[in-house]
Amino acid sequence: MKIKIFRWRAIGPLLVLFVIACVLWWLFADSIARRESQKVGTQMLGAKVEIRDLHLDLRNGDVTIRGLTIASPHEPFQNLLQADEIVADLDVVPLTEKKIIIDRIAAKGLRFGTPRQTDGRVAAKSGEGIAGRVLAETHEWASQFQIPVLQLATGKISIDSLDPRRLSTIPAAAALGARADSSRRAWQAALDTLRLGPALDSASATLEKLKRARATDLATLNEARQAIDRLKRARNRVTTLERSVTQGTANLKSGLAGLDSARRRDYAFARSLLKLPSLDAPAVGAALFAPGAIKPFERVLYYAQLARRYMPPGLLPRATTGTSRVRRAGEDIRFPKERALPRFLLRSAELSFLLHPNDAQPQRYAGVLTGLTSDPAVYGRPTSFGASGPQLVAGALLNHLRGIPVDTAGATLGGIQLPAFEVPGVPLRLDPGAAVTQLGFNLNGDTIHARFAIRSTNVRWTRDSGFANSTIGDLIWRTVSGISNLDVEARLSGELHHPDLAVRSNLDQAIASRLRAVLGEQVAAAERQIRERVDALVNDKVGPVRAKVNEVQTQAQAQVAQQRARLDELQKQLEQQLRQRIGLP
Amino acid sequence: MFALIKLIQSLFGALHSEGTPGQLAAGIVLGSILGLTPLLNLHNALIFALLVLLNVSFAGGVLGWALFIPIGFLLDPLFDWIGHSLLLAPSLRGLWTSFYNTPIVPLTNFNNTVVLGSVVFAVLFALPLFFATRVAVVRYRATIGERVRQSKWYRTVMASKVYNVYKMFRP
Repeated sequence: MKIKIFRWRAIGPLLVLFVIACVLWWLFADSIARRESQKVGTQMLGAKVEIRDLHLDLRNGDVTIRGLTIASPHEPFQNLLQADEIVADLDVVPLTEKKIIIDRIAAKGLRFGTPRQTDGRVAAKSGEGIAGRVLAETHEWASQFQIPVLQLATGKISIDSLDPRRLSTIPAAAALGARADSSRRAWQAALDTLRLGPALDSASATLEKLKRARATDLATLNEARQAIDRLKRARNRVTTLERSVTQGTANLKSGLAGLDSARRRDYAFARSLLKLPSLDAPAVGAALFAPGAIKPFERVLYYAQLARRYMPPGLLPRATTGTSRVRRAGEDIRFPKERALPRFLLRSAELSFLLHPNDAQPQRYAGVLTGLTSDPAVYGRPTSFGASGPQLVAGALLNHLRGIPVDTAGATLGGIQLPAFEVPGVPLRLDPGAAVTQLGFNLNGDTIHARFAIRSTNVRWTRDSGFANSTIGDLIWRTVSGISNLDVEARLSGELHHPDLAVRSNLDQAIASRLRAVLGEQVAAAERQIRERVDALVNDKVGPVRAKVNEVQTQAQAQVAQQRARLDELQKQLEQQLRQRIGLP
Repeated sequence: MFALIKLIQSLFGALHSEGTPGQLAAGIVLGSILGLTPLLNLHNALIFALLVLLNVSFAGGVLGWALFIPIGFLLDPLFDWIGHSLLLAPSLRGLWTSFYNTPIVPLTNFNNTVVLGSVVFAVLFALPLFFATRVAVVRYRATIGERVRQSKWYRTVMASKVYNVYKMFRP
């Protein structure tokens, strides 16, 4: 029986299925696109992206998004931005290559930093995906800065326990003691090997013989000359040993000096255990404002690093985590190609937004974003952003065209009502009021240069009740409460992995000089106390070693001198007797 | 429970259908591709169309799909590794770059490691599976097939209305 290959009757149901699929797409395309946009946006930014309504008009290549809300990846109950309406002019043909090319976007009613009811952070909680990893990396980066802590509220100075095993003088003393013993043995052995006893005995016997000899007793005279030669050779050997002893004693003396250095190091180490308030102006500035100053750097770095991950330079294949599904997501590998379209491109976006939307007269701003793309090397132009308005000037340039990406951003924003904050280490609350903030950021490969500044002329200070019984607290309060200007500047520079952070403010010098005046005595006393502790631990070990070294030196030098004197004396007597016998004057 | 009954029905429905062992094996092979690879992908629309249009056992297809779904989940790490190796092989970069920049092809998600790995695995696995299944069906029908058909529980299961749905596509 011949079996038919095709089941022709199934074409009908298949067509019906196809029509149903088309109808379902027509009915649910907007909803599917909205959900997918929310999902992808959330995954990319690490914060919830919510869209109230999305309409696809593929025939005209228009996408309209209404009610866009992007939560802040850092703040739990704050939005990064909200937009009333975004209209995108989409190029439809590249969609067949799964490429999204947007010729123009017009965004209206953008608002920043608005409050939200629910926690919109995703990456911060899950730590998953590219956003999660970048967030964790930048958080770790920000935590590397050692910020000095001010302990001003009570003025207490405490000392951690001093572990003798961590002092370097004690092992150095033990080593020097061992060296002294070893030197003593070595010199004694060297002295023994000189065999001076037989030479001296023989010379003494010759001297006695010479005293009784006549001038014609040539054999005795020759014997005396030979004895003098032997004494000279023995003297040379003693001289060599003396040189060795001199060098050895110099080494031991330098060992003693090394003990003093080790003790100074131990003083420094012990001083590091003291919890002293910072008295230097830069340290005061860092203690007061560095925690707040690091945050903007951390956030800008987060977005810069995200941009680098999503917009990498070059044309090599790139792997990103695949879209999440019930099955394993795997990785999506992209294969950019020269003279082809990038995976994503936003040619131009016109942004219109409001600042201070709750004010009676909210300020209207405008901005332009161009060349935002997933494949900068394919597109061939950097991404740029600029915005301006009554109190804002902002710009950014992301140049990922070459192997070393360069990201630059700068903004000056005036009239910003910064929130009041607790000054770290001091129960003082600072309300900067309306301030001008400036941010400059440049990340060139792995080298960072950034600056963040706040200027305010209407600062208000509030005193915490914890200050009530503190002398230092009173002092600080008197110092700062009369200051109405605030000028803080934080600078970051160097290798991205270990940059230098410098923070200064107009309060630093004022607080530091007051602190030094009051706490200087206490600090000096604490330092004396810690030195005494070090001395108590070290002196027991160093004293005997110092005595031993001195004893070894003295003993060795005395022995050598004694032997040398005996040789010299005997040689002198022999030479004198010899001269008398042969009739010389 | 419904899924289990459906699976049992499809299994015995396929084994006792009038279709040849080859038709049944081909259906299972096509079903296995649906089960082994992530379902919502363009290539599976083609596989489904083939399953419906070709004169193969649709019940076998459903059986193959149901059987190979858990296997697909289990083998996902292997598929990921295969896909990763293939997509990042320097010798194949030109091919993938060309595919990636060709209309329609990227819609297949071939550039996803799990999708590519599972498709490659399923295609390579298809021939051995086809021959093994065909031999197994022949042996089943020659040995215990008739006894099963006469059994009381077989008639009970097959009397379920769900079975009628499958009859529609019986070869």
